[in-house]
Amino acid sequence: MKLLIVEDQAKTGQYLRQGLSEAGFSSELANDGETGQFMALTGDYDLLILDVMLPGRDGWQILRAVREAGQNVPVLFLTARDAIEDRVHGLELGADDYLVKPFAFSELLARVRTLLRRGSAPAQETTLGVADLRLDLIRRRVERAGQRLDLTAKEFALLELLLRRQGEVLPKSLIASQVWDMNFDSDTNVIEVAIRRLRLKIDDAHENKLIHTVRGMGYVLEERPN
Amino acid sequence: MPRLSLGARLALLFAACTAVVSLLAGILFSRASEAHFIELDQQLLDSRLPVLQRLVEGVDGPATLASRLPELQAELAHQTDLALRLRGNDGRIWFDSRADLPHSTSAPGLTTLHGEHSAWRGLVVQQPALQLTLFLDITHHQHFLQRMQHLIWLTVGLSALATALLGIWAARSGLRPLRQMGEIAASVSARSLTTRLPAQQMPVELAELAATVNAMLERLDDAFQRLSAFSADIAHELRTPLSNLLTHTQVTLTRPRSLDEYREALHGNLEELQWMAQMVNDMLYLAKADHGLLMPSREPLALHGEVDALLEYYGALAEDAGIALQREGQATLDGDRHMLRRALSNLLDNALRFTPAGGEIKVGINQRGGDIRLEVANRGEPIEAAQLPRLFDRFYRADPARRAGSSEHAGLGLAITQSIVRAHGGTIRAESAAGWTRFIVELPAA
Repeated sequence: MKLLIVEDQAKTGQYLRQGLSEAGFSSELANDGETGQFMALTGDYDLLILDVMLPGRDGWQILRAVREAGQNVPVLFLTARDAIEDRVHGLELGADDYLVKPFAFSELLARVRTLLRRGSAPAQETTLGVADLRLDLIRRRVERAGQRLDLTAKEFALLELLLRRQGEVLPKSLIASQVWDMNFDSDTNVIEVAIRRLRLKIDDAHENKLIHTVRGMGYVLEERPN
Repeated sequence: MPRLSLGARLALLFAACTAVVSLLAGILFSRASEAHFIELDQQLLDSRLPVLQRLVEGVDGPATLASRLPELQAELAHQTDLALRLRGNDGRIWFDSRADLPHSTSAPGLTTLHGEHSAWRGLVVQQPALQLTLFLDITHHQHFLQRMQHLIWLTVGLSALATALLGIWAARSGLRPLRQMGEIAASVSARSLTTRLPAQQMPVELAELAATVNAMLERLDDAFQRLSAFSADIAHELRTPLSNLLTHTQVTLTRPRSLDEYREALHGNLEELQWMAQMVNDMLYLAKADHGLLMPSREPLALHGEVDALLEYYGALAEDAGIALQREGQATLDGDRHMLRRALSNLLDNALRFTPAGGEIKVGINQRGGDIRLEVANRGEPIEAAQLPRLFDRFYRADPARRAGSSEHAGLGLAITQSIVRAHGGTIRAESAAGWTRFIVELPAA
């Protein structure tokens, strides 16, 4: 996976690049609009991360040029402004998603993964699982070590999300949005409580814990060697 | 009339009024005097007529006239402003007592005639064989009337000028309170928004305006106070996490530490930073609302459905805290789902924060026609009436000692709720009575 970051704030660009590289994405960085557009048009990228405000050419102009060149690469906008016109404008031009600064890196990473996954055909699994945990999507049943677990509908949805994106750190805001359709940053402990309850059912009786907290970032479901 | 001063406007209007009035008076007077002259002339001519009629009695041609002429001229000599014309029935003039008589008509009655340099009143009387026209020289009358007309025009002009000048003076002194008002208004600046106009001392016409201006100043002052307080609050709110970050980072860097300690330090910083990011985002949201950029989409919504979704969202949290949640009633409206969820979530979040364990939170929905009333009520400490409206102020916390620990919210939630409700054309208020705290949202259905 190769990503292009066009960001004129040197520090921001550098941190983003480092973070994305460490998350397993090789990424290149352009510091101004002209270079960014040239690289976007000539390189073969899987995703573009564009800042809106850029010297030379702004993010929208680059997006337009890319779309006019017939490239269907997904584009994630970073904007310091949160005006509705900005969103409408960006989405009209064919942006796939946008994030308003200040944003959390975990949020960016989650969005990047979503956008990259969008291209590939959705997996038609009927069961999801990790280690000795099994989730049956058709019969809506969950088992751990052969034991059937009784989950509420929301707990089931939460576990399904964690399983589908196992190994990824999911920020609380993303969980709130995907499971409860609450699309705002709420500073309550709702997600914490929900995770705690899910853990009680999934992990508490087992040595091998599957749901992990990444402090300050979110939650991840994966099998970790003890 | 583009941009004439009020004074000039009034002066011109005064002048025009005076001119019209004096002109009308002049015209009436001159008409009346002319009519009076005509009447006098008529009387004079009537009184002379019988003598002259007698003198021309029996005359039937220029031949018979000749014998009467000496007598006629003697009679006419008595009064030099009288003249006589005798005209035969065939239309020829038999006799003119003077050479400069004007052309006259043959219709009987009194007419006014004008000669080269003279004016005459002519009285035409039909005799058996001739037509007798008696002329009265009225040149001096006409002169008098002309002089009077000149006088009238002069009066009109002078009085108009005089009232214009008076008008300027009157307008100046009449508008003095207005100028004073302007001076006071000009002296108002951001530093002296407390200045008020003396509405009681103003003339009645200006009192209302002064009151309006005062009310405007009141609102400006209020908004300015809020804004100043808001900026100060922002600085204050950011100061604590910033100084935490600075101290923490510097202390961490003073000597080499273990990996775990560094990780711990970064986590601590992350929490402060997330708190600050959340606050900045909330403030941007409020700034957008202040600029009228919060434009809710309108889709048909079942409000009870949204409330239920939120109650489910908060359900586990409430259960852990031993708080019962319930909803009653239903309503449908056109609104923005995400925005309304955010608004209601802040109300529920707030209620959960202030409900003691074992308490309950009730959400009541009521729809009457186009008006929807939603109430979030929780048992809790009573709140003083004076504090209630302030709950919606930014950064307001009922308990000043409570501060933003990293997980504590910044005190912007209710302000955001208020902005969203207002963007939907609704109102929100808080009540505290009988151990219950209620937030009451009133929304139009469409």
